[in-house]
Amino acid sequence: MSARKSLNDILISWRTSGGIKQTIVDIVSRSKRNSMVVVGLTIIIIIVALALLAPVLPMASPTPTQLNPEDKLMSVSWRHFFGTDELGRDVFSRVLWGARVSLLVATLSILFSLMIGVVLGLTAGFFGGVVDYIITGTIDLFWTFPSFLLALALAATLGPSLENVILAISISYWAGFARLMRGQALTTRERQYVEASRALGAGNLRIMFTHVLPNCMAPLIVWASVGVADAITIESSLTFLGVGTQPPTPSWGYMLNRGMPYLEEAPWITTFPGVILLLTILGFNLLGDGMRDVLDPRMKGLRR
Amino acid sequence: MADLTSYIIRRTILAVPVVILATFIVFLMLYLTPGDPIRAIMPPHASQADLQALREKYGFDQPFLIQYEKFLVRLFHGDLGKSVARGTLNTDVSFLLVEKLPRTLQLMAIGLTISYSIGIPLGVFSALRQNSWKDRGVMVFTLVAYAMPSFWLGILLMSLFSVYLGVLPSEGTVGGFSSIILPALTLGLGNAALTTRMMRSSMLEVMRQDYITQLRSRGLPEREVVLKHALKNAILPVVTVIGLDIGWFVAGAVVVETVFSWPGIGMLITDSIADYDFATVQGCILVLAFFVVFGNLFADILYAIVDPRVRLG
Repeated sequence: MSARKSLNDILISWRTSGGIKQTIVDIVSRSKRNSMVVVGLTIIIIIVALALLAPVLPMASPTPTQLNPEDKLMSVSWRHFFGTDELGRDVFSRVLWGARVSLLVATLSILFSLMIGVVLGLTAGFFGGVVDYIITGTIDLFWTFPSFLLALALAATLGPSLENVILAISISYWAGFARLMRGQALTTRERQYVEASRALGAGNLRIMFTHVLPNCMAPLIVWASVGVADAITIESSLTFLGVGTQPPTPSWGYMLNRGMPYLEEAPWITTFPGVILLLTILGFNLLGDGMRDVLDPRMKGLRR
Repeated sequence: MADLTSYIIRRTILAVPVVILATFIVFLMLYLTPGDPIRAIMPPHASQADLQALREKYGFDQPFLIQYEKFLVRLFHGDLGKSVARGTLNTDVSFLLVEKLPRTLQLMAIGLTISYSIGIPLGVFSALRQNSWKDRGVMVFTLVAYAMPSFWLGILLMSLFSVYLGVLPSEGTVGGFSSIILPALTLGLGNAALTTRMMRSSMLEVMRQDYITQLRSRGLPEREVVLKHALKNAILPVVTVIGLDIGWFVAGAVVVETVFSWPGIGMLITDSIADYDFATVQGCILVLAFFVVFGNLFADILYAIVDPRVRLG
């Protein structure tokens, strides 16, 4: 009880302090009232927790070295919550280990996209002129080119592996972030506080990272969350098509692909990875949509 | 009319770099593919001199840009190389593409029809009952349908209609028209979610306009206000974003065709990747990319024709 009370005291002192701490408290309290954020975050936390705990949970190995023929295609039971697949491997364990792969690929590729997008977008919007012209042209090219097709082409060319999927998604997804950053940088650089800061002797880099970037945080968070959902979709689709992560790495797309001949005999092979995949994507979409309403009500309805 | 013509010209010029980028990416694909294509076709004990001779014959010894130029010249003549897959050895890639493309177009056309015939009525329904439980129900449906990866939706529909009910064929084209229903439905449902959302917000926007209030105050029945006056204006932005839908449909077609073994461009890609038949993969990617670029171009021009304000931008 006492720990909780002191936490409350801290929160109260933050709420009245003004500045960044008050902003955080504000956002948290508004998020708690937004059902999309709450539901989305709950789903994400559960799946991330299960994925992180996969190595220590008492369950069968996702890629056992010894396969028992009599274990194969077993239905849902206490020993195998999600049944077993065509080789007798535990589907529950493979779904959890698959979550690690999907989440890792998605977060890393969105992180890389974000870095490319932020650097290029900021540079273009902030400096303008020829630099802007060249970068904006590149952004528009990648924006028009369908990202799934580009990712598929890259993944097929580079050869199927975890690293190449991350690379393929990063290269095909950054344009959205860059567009966003450029737009924000263009409007922010005209503000008076930027002028004031320049008068005080602040350099370009300082202005970019202390004034322009923080102003873009809200839409970036929203886009990154939706981006993770998109990246998970792309990753699982690529793996389903056979150009993504390769066996023996457990992966949702691969499980769904291999389970297709057993739809009648053993529907659990495809059902469970499919449901968890859908929930994960839904979770990140809900979080993104909800955060958009929380962080900036004016952005409501911007996404289709 | 002059401004429309100038818009069409400006918009078409904008599409040129994207088309060039597409050819460049596709060329780079073959250039960067791990493994030496010459080593692949020659026996393992071939001498260095023989390898070199063949490299010169096919132009692999030349600088990157020269090779790219040659690639473009061949492309203009419709020559995309020959397939090396076992089933279609030495067939012209362009021939394979011409053979498979109608199947993909067929699938997309029916998918698009399904998507609009679900999305538009559902969006209007939802908007007219804004914030009711029915509206919320529709919104939950769109969230789930949007998050659903198309291959998983395809597998679900396949289990339901082919495996359990046994009413529709699950793969290939043997069932005639009934074969296309499941793949088209899979393709259409995800996009129906987007259409519903668009239609809903567009309808809400229109219903707030003054002329709707004015029509109501004149005593026009609500039914007539909605169907005759509001719908006409609300549907415009939804139908004209068809360009955005095309990107979705191209990505979806690759996956859906693979799930249902529908013999279009999408399945050709996955088969060719599995067979290391990169000339064919190149051709397919190029065709699909062109399709998206020209689809967008077409949609933008269409938009400019219906909405004159766009032409000035």
